[in-house]
Amino acid sequence: MSRPTITPADAVAEVSALGRRIAEGAKLFGEIRDADVQIATTPKDLVWSQDKVSLYRYRPLAESKGLPPVLIVYGLIGRYTMADLQEDRSLVRNLLNLGLDLYVVDWGNPSRAERFVTIDDYVDGYLAECVSFIQDQAGRERVNLLGICEGGVFTTCYAALYPADVNAMVLTITPIDFHADQVENRPGHGFINLWMRSLSPEDIDRLIESQGSLPGAFMGSVFSMMTPMRTLTKYNLDLLDALADKKKFLNFLRMEKWIADRPDHPGEAAKQWLKDLYQDNKLVENRFELSGRTVKLSDITCPVLNVFAKDDHIIPPATSRALGPKIGTQDYTELGLPGGHVGVFVGGKAQALLGSGIADWLSARG
Amino acid sequence: MDPIESMKAMGELWSRGARSFAEAQANLFGALQTAAGPAPAPDFEAARAAQAAYAKAWTDAQAVAAGFSAQLGAKPGQDPVAAEVLAKVFDPRGWLSASSEVDAALSRLAEGPQFADLFQVERKFAGLTTAWTALRRRNLEHNTLMLEAWTRATGAFSKAVNAKAEAGQPLESARALMALWIETANDVLVETQRSEAFLKSQRESLKAATDLRLAQQDLGEYYSQMFGYPTRAELDDLHKTVTELRRELRALKRAKGATRQKEATP
Repeated sequence: MSRPTITPADAVAEVSALGRRIAEGAKLFGEIRDADVQIATTPKDLVWSQDKVSLYRYRPLAESKGLPPVLIVYGLIGRYTMADLQEDRSLVRNLLNLGLDLYVVDWGNPSRAERFVTIDDYVDGYLAECVSFIQDQAGRERVNLLGICEGGVFTTCYAALYPADVNAMVLTITPIDFHADQVENRPGHGFINLWMRSLSPEDIDRLIESQGSLPGAFMGSVFSMMTPMRTLTKYNLDLLDALADKKKFLNFLRMEKWIADRPDHPGEAAKQWLKDLYQDNKLVENRFELSGRTVKLSDITCPVLNVFAKDDHIIPPATSRALGPKIGTQDYTELGLPGGHVGVFVGGKAQALLGSGIADWLSARG
Repeated sequence: MDPIESMKAMGELWSRGARSFAEAQANLFGALQTAAGPAPAPDFEAARAAQAAYAKAWTDAQAVAAGFSAQLGAKPGQDPVAAEVLAKVFDPRGWLSASSEVDAALSRLAEGPQFADLFQVERKFAGLTTAWTALRRRNLEHNTLMLEAWTRATGAFSKAVNAKAEAGQPLESARALMALWIETANDVLVETQRSEAFLKSQRESLKAATDLRLAQQDLGEYYSQMFGYPTRAELDDLHKTVTELRRELRALKRAKGATRQKEATP
């Protein structure tokens, strides 16, 4: 093998620079307090709760546009705090600043006690209760839904089962066709889809039987596996890079805080998520059943804005874009944003486009 | 900070990163440890075969890594500290960092015969030992597969460095060298993850971890019953009942609300 042309002088210079950075980083570490890395700080009030589920209403930051309220629905993998990571990287703040009336549902931290809670309970129970509360409070018959990832699947099901309640629906990074990872088949993309198909339904049943849930730590490990070298370099090279800039370092820590807060996914709901959707692909084939009713995508008649991340390795774009031809409305818009799964919400360019894109689209459908 | 110390610190950081990746893998299965009821006898032969395959892969990986590091550093005029760091980066122990998991697993293996001496729950403990042996075997098989992938990554990196040199684009900094390594290794690892062999191995490891976890719970259930504590199954029953009652309550409330609304409508 030929040798790289790194001279001793170059090496010493690099090492010196590295030494300075580590020393500065150590000092920075010492100065940072927990208060510096708070996430989800946009002021909001608890307006309704049931079991472990809480509904919050954000306090307005600008004059109201008079549009139907918007309910943000995150999934059970990760937490809604992603949409409000920090002041200058917050979809929530961007939407509030554009005059929207905003609610968010927090599913809480399900434990083994929630083993038997199903997606039926989340969609037909808790989500329906939240919508009903907002309808009463706002004095409106219809609300806007903004679903994120698995939460987007929940809102999709809701919009199909209760079309009269929904004024418009925004989906972000939401899988609809769970087998469409094979459309592009990009290396490193859609590994969860591939892996889930490699398991048998019995493997998943026994996994849930043994754990009572789909543990958050387990899903965290799966996400780490999807980007193997990034995982290896995260706490050395990437951290060293972040240490060069205090703002960047605080961003790094806030993201770490969000990643660490990964609740367990209730067991029975996880079985539906993994078997009915990832393995059997029932949603896009109009075979997914909730509370005795079949979710038919053609029953979705409200306008739909479908936002996907062009470089999403967790939810490949084709899995989201499959919705378009299936729904029962012509008012369907796609918005492909630069970046990956999380980058849509926190990446400098994408998150600005996301906020204004959603607000403009909703404004035209008030 | 002393520059030499800084470089050493970077080497340590790299090792920690490698450990965190291995821990992520270990969590995947470790969080799920399992086992099944009246199990067949432990398949020690298969476990020994897996151990032998793993040992061979380990030897191969070490040989590749040693030769590789020797070529990169330890030449006259070369910074010895940089050479040490590079040696760490390409040390297979860092790739897998499975040593602590192996140590812990061996300690637990040593407890097996003691378990089997307990007459009352002999079958349960035998099931546990069987499940543990199966998990150990699957983990070794999986580690072997990953070691082979890392060895392939090293080879691909070597080729990439040569290709750059031949194209007149030599790497001019340790950081550039590292960036190339990360990119090359990532490609190989991602390709490995999509292979049938990896998916099969992953599935077998998951099943083995689940089986072990269930065997442990079976034993826990036995002792809970013996000492009059609530068992996992009893708690699950209770939670199921509560969930169903909540569901019914929600439906009743909704029906009541709809009736009221209907009555209020003129």
